[in-house]
Amino acid sequence: MPEQDGAIAATGMGGAMDLAASEATTLERASGGPGGATDTGRPRSLWSDAWRDLRRNPVFLVSALVILFLVLISLWPSAIAPGSPLSCDLAKAQDGPGPGAPFGYDGQGCNVYTRTVYGARTSVTVGVCATLGVALLGSVLGALAGFFGGVWDSVLSRGTDIFFAIPVVLGGLVLLSVVTSNTVWPVIGFMVLLGWPQISRIARGSVITVQQNDYVQAARALGASHSRILLRHIAPNAVAPVIVVATIALGTYIALEATLSYLGVGLKPPSVSWGIDISAASPYVRNAPHALLWPAGALAVTVLAFIMLGDAVRDALDPKLR
Amino acid sequence: MGRYVLRRLLQMVPVFIGATLLIFLMVNVMGDPIAGLCGERSCDPATAAQLKKDFGLDKPLWQQYLTYMGNVFTGDFGTAFNGQPVTELMAAAFPVTIRLTIVAILFEIVVGIVLGVVTGLRRGRPVDTSVLVVTLVVIAVPTFVTGLLLQLLLGVEWGWIKPSVSPAATFDELIVPGLVLASVSLAYVTRLTRTSIAENKRADYVRTAVAKGLPRHRVITRHLLRNSLIPVVTFIGADIGALMGGAIVTERIFNIHGVGYQLYQGILRQNTQTVVGFVTVLVLVFLVANLLVDLLYAVLDPRIRYA
Amino acid sequence: MLLEVRDLHVEFRTREGVAKAVNGVSYAVDAGETLAVLGESGSGKSVTAQAVMGILDMPPGRITGGEILFRGQDVLRLKEEERRGLRGTGMAMIFQDALSALNPVLCVGDQLGEMFVVHRGMSKKDARARAVELMDRVRIPAAAQRVRDYPHQFSGGMRQRIMIAMALALEPALIIADEPTTALDVTVQAQVMELLAELRREYRMGLILITHDLGVVADVADRIAVMYAGRIVESAPVYDIYKAPAHPYTRCLLDSIPRLDLKGRELYAIKGLPPSLTHIPPGCAFHPRCPMARDVCRTDVPPVHPVSEERGSACHFWRECLDDRDH
Repeated sequence: MPEQDGAIAATGMGGAMDLAASEATTLERASGGPGGATDTGRPRSLWSDAWRDLRRNPVFLVSALVILFLVLISLWPSAIAPGSPLSCDLAKAQDGPGPGAPFGYDGQGCNVYTRTVYGARTSVTVGVCATLGVALLGSVLGALAGFFGGVWDSVLSRGTDIFFAIPVVLGGLVLLSVVTSNTVWPVIGFMVLLGWPQISRIARGSVITVQQNDYVQAARALGASHSRILLRHIAPNAVAPVIVVATIALGTYIALEATLSYLGVGLKPPSVSWGIDISAASPYVRNAPHALLWPAGALAVTVLAFIMLGDAVRDALDPKLR
Repeated sequence: MGRYVLRRLLQMVPVFIGATLLIFLMVNVMGDPIAGLCGERSCDPATAAQLKKDFGLDKPLWQQYLTYMGNVFTGDFGTAFNGQPVTELMAAAFPVTIRLTIVAILFEIVVGIVLGVVTGLRRGRPVDTSVLVVTLVVIAVPTFVTGLLLQLLLGVEWGWIKPSVSPAATFDELIVPGLVLASVSLAYVTRLTRTSIAENKRADYVRTAVAKGLPRHRVITRHLLRNSLIPVVTFIGADIGALMGGAIVTERIFNIHGVGYQLYQGILRQNTQTVVGFVTVLVLVFLVANLLVDLLYAVLDPRIRYA
Repeated sequence: MLLEVRDLHVEFRTREGVAKAVNGVSYAVDAGETLAVLGESGSGKSVTAQAVMGILDMPPGRITGGEILFRGQDVLRLKEEERRGLRGTGMAMIFQDALSALNPVLCVGDQLGEMFVVHRGMSKKDARARAVELMDRVRIPAAAQRVRDYPHQFSGGMRQRIMIAMALALEPALIIADEPTTALDVTVQAQVMELLAELRREYRMGLILITHDLGVVADVADRIAVMYAGRIVESAPVYDIYKAPAHPYTRCLLDSIPRLDLKGRELYAIKGLPPSLTHIPPGCAFHPRCPMARDVCRTDVPPVHPVSEERGSACHFWRECLDDRDH
């Protein structure tokens, strides 16, 4: 087993990434070029094989459907939720289910159902944007460090060590508590700031492994430029572990946003977030448990869907299970 | 082995400096360090200027940082919102959190590894499938949700435990909070151990051990376990950061007056000295914990020692 | 007879179907004798050996027929506890890649000493002393200092010697060496084989040497059994096989050895690939690649014809093959 790069081995988010990372390193080891021909002579690639396996995997299908549903209601929440999540009637505070409000009302008299549906939009937006940002920034930095090595690599390694040294929730408390803006962007920005090291590590490792393959040597010998080698030869073959970790990361980012909002440093009203709702509902949970349970349930199902998706993708891309 | 230790120690230094600098920058550049010192309202310009001068905030940033670090090394973390020195708050808060963390780590290690070994050896059987499902659900549900639900169920509905922990925070009161804190990490440890055991079960050296005629229990404990636990140990070390974050959440839910509580109060009252002080110490703890885990890893895996 | 394998059948259940790894293999080894089992990857030679030792992965693998008589007793009928009692004491195995076959986190002294602690009830101190003796016996320099070292600190050849020492520790009657030199350099190969031969002579053990390398076999073996697609296609004393093979597959194997006196000519290679064990061709499994194949080969599985008292060949046309000496 290779020596650990630095004194710190994972993100403060709970080593969830590290677990995914260690399981994803099996992909690194076997990342190679396209596979050989089957008995029938049709050329196979890792991607077509993976897609074929995914299509047949019930876990993947279920989680993909759930996620599709979530994306749809994020884009068009009004399609299934009447009214606005912000129009609240104090007279109805803590009431049970009623017409147009199947989940009842919360402590402010807001419609829990509507708020839960709109909360999906926030979570999905934050999750997707944060993941995209982390994936792009992390992959680029990691790939460049892995490809060029030397000074760049050392600088990146020390940099990731420093960011790893700050547990994410702690960092969130510190940074976000002094931020005054009300939108989602500080939260997303913070997640990207502390999240890129994890992906950069995976990307770096993956690029280093793929680089050792003969076809990269061949491309160099034929005089291909750096960008051509990186983009055309290395990237397609090194991207699999990054995809796996990024998918699982999406789930944890959604959970992280909810946690930060619960602690009061994430999103703030009038943003609609499941974390805010859960936090607000906890003092009177005895009287109106529905105000807490519905957003909590929605959150759990969403995070579960993304993590299951990531699991399914990893299993499909894992050559050891072929 | 000595060289390895030395190298790790040296690597810790720049990282500590970098991390504390990062925290310092985050707080002092992004926010307003003297907010909250004038009570609920913001200070009038004259007082603000005077306060800035008192705290040395009119000096260049790097100088501020050096002053701060200098103070840290002499044990001066500044003053908290209630006038007490931050160090006093720390002295009261850390023991509580340490107790909570110990409970959590014990759960994580003992239950996680045992479950992982059992499922790893019985892959595909009902025990394995049910544990996999349960761990997946636990991983997916954020810690604060699990905590709130357990508090609701065990504390409020069934009355098995007190919903809030007393300020004394004895070990038995911390069992359920500790379990909540450990839950996600426990699930990961179980899965990781399971995967590791399942992989190593097929390894050549296990086959050799069987071919040597060793009894099954010896093959499992002496050969399989020692190799399989190596990645798990690494993970547990890395996970300490998550435990810290989770401790803040758990302390909030169960009203435990530990580090998380103090940190939260500091944030609420915008007292940067408290916040930065606690976070700096926590980062240091995290770095040291990782160092210890790396050393443990070297003890377990001789290939690292002589690298 | 020390070991007699009779009509052994082993199957594996895989995603692509049932793989018939061993299809009616019979061979025998006596004390002091060396049997070389030759064949390409996938011929079933390792699986047979693992079945003898009883270390097959039984969920995907199944023994579906046959007997394995060790000192006259059918070990397949023994309870697992009794079978375990034989491993290490009565029969021992040496594996191909010593780096992965040795436990990376235990020092070699512990791994060697373990044999004595578990099987002979010795104390750790005594076991450690015996371990040093063993390491000396297999000619590892500075054994007393190196006994506390870990496998990755040794060279490939020395690791293999440690494996040999571990197998020999309790002086078993039978040793199975599964490709012991494949992972080594040629010069080291020779040293290790020499050591093996010397020890075999000294301890009067039966040795089954599994390999795909004809060159290695000539010096050490008394008899050779050639396997293909899970069956023995030819078995004979070693000189007979090299002088006049009685099976086209053996002949092709011999022909593909590069020879100095044929310099300048194209190297011979057997056309085609070994069959997938889930789809073994009907009739003689070798017929798609055989230069002598006729119609009957496609339909009838050839039994093992007795070529002489000591030889057998599973080819319909073994006589032709034998006579065709100046091929």
